[in-house]
Amino acid sequence: MQAAISAIEYFLPQNVLSTSDLAAEFPEWSVEKIDGKTGIQQRHIAAENECSSDLAVNAVQRLFESGACQPDSIDFVLLCTQSPDYFLPTTACVIQDRLGIPTTCGALDFNLGCSGYIYGLGLAQGLISSGQACNVLLITAETYSKFINARDKSVRTIFGDGAAATLLRAVESESPFIGPFIYGTDGRGHQNLIVPTGGMRHPRTGQTAEPSEDEDGNVRTLENLYMNGAEVFTFTLSSVPESIERILKKSALAMEDIDLFVFHQANRYMLEHLRKRMNIPGEKFVVAMSHCGNTVSSTIPIALKHAAREGRLPNHSTVMLVGFGVGYSWGAALVRWSDLYQS
Amino acid sequence: MTREEFLNSMADLVELPRGALKGPEQLNAIEQWNSLAMISFIALADANNRVSLSPRQMMKCTTVSDLLQIAKVDP
Repeated sequence: MQAAISAIEYFLPQNVLSTSDLAAEFPEWSVEKIDGKTGIQQRHIAAENECSSDLAVNAVQRLFESGACQPDSIDFVLLCTQSPDYFLPTTACVIQDRLGIPTTCGALDFNLGCSGYIYGLGLAQGLISSGQACNVLLITAETYSKFINARDKSVRTIFGDGAAATLLRAVESESPFIGPFIYGTDGRGHQNLIVPTGGMRHPRTGQTAEPSEDEDGNVRTLENLYMNGAEVFTFTLSSVPESIERILKKSALAMEDIDLFVFHQANRYMLEHLRKRMNIPGEKFVVAMSHCGNTVSSTIPIALKHAAREGRLPNHSTVMLVGFGVGYSWGAALVRWSDLYQS
Repeated sequence: MTREEFLNSMADLVELPRGALKGPEQLNAIEQWNSLAMISFIALADANNRVSLSPRQMMKCTTVSDLLQIAKVDP
């Protein structure tokens, strides 16, 4: 048995933070400057009482409404999130109950950011090819906005909340639809993209809520998301080309054999730099983030959904997916697009 | 990319007129030399000279010339 992506849906919360809103709040940054650097026109922001499970449930309900699957056909739920509803229990368990998925299913959360979709596909492929599951729901859901200080434009301009749900089905086939995979991890970079307090290492105290201003005028507390943009950019410039080289070698393919490249949608500036650096033609490269921003682990499925809708994923296309970010963690996978996909 | 072209590209990214930078300028005196400009400079060095700059290395630079030196721009 092989796993195949058979449907993708996504959900964005109703509240919108536009680039015009941000330019009004940060007069030193114009709409043109923000748009030019990020390629993002708007981000969707979860309401105060709206959590990752709420976004996830909405995304999965869209899958059910599309007819791609029904609750009783799901036998495994994988949820990638770094902003779970609770420390415990597992948010995937809450989602199983809310969606009426049978109690005979397995469910787990895994904590990864922008590389999460690749790892989720790897887990789903393993569950299906080993006969442990037949219909896996891979959900990516984040509410990073809850970590972000309103006065920190370095991250507020980039990140948006959202969730995506991907259905992976077991299909009789000699050759895999997903794979090979390559993975990478370098925890030396863990402090460059971090929420420093709130876990067991550094619990929240009165002091951790004290705001401070950095040299660029951004304000945050130790309870907020911090990103060292220059360090993360440098990491990306080394990890992405290396990942592409490794996966091409592992698959014995050349760049020309890839029909479409879908990278984690970090920001347009970074994507365009990587595209040019890797000599990828624009028509083979997906940029789909202007309407939602960087939604962390959901950017790749959202971009795939848009590419499919635009007819850029014909049957048997070879698609390269590359995810990279917080951890540092990265990964890449090849997907043989099939007509099992229901748009 | 010549040194002059590199200086002009750097002027673009710190929002100064082309020709405004010569090399001896102190980075802390350039108003738009910030983390966003650092990222653009890393991209500039990577795209043109295939030089991978470390932000820590960049933080030690005090002048524009120091930056050009670590980006391996011909003097």
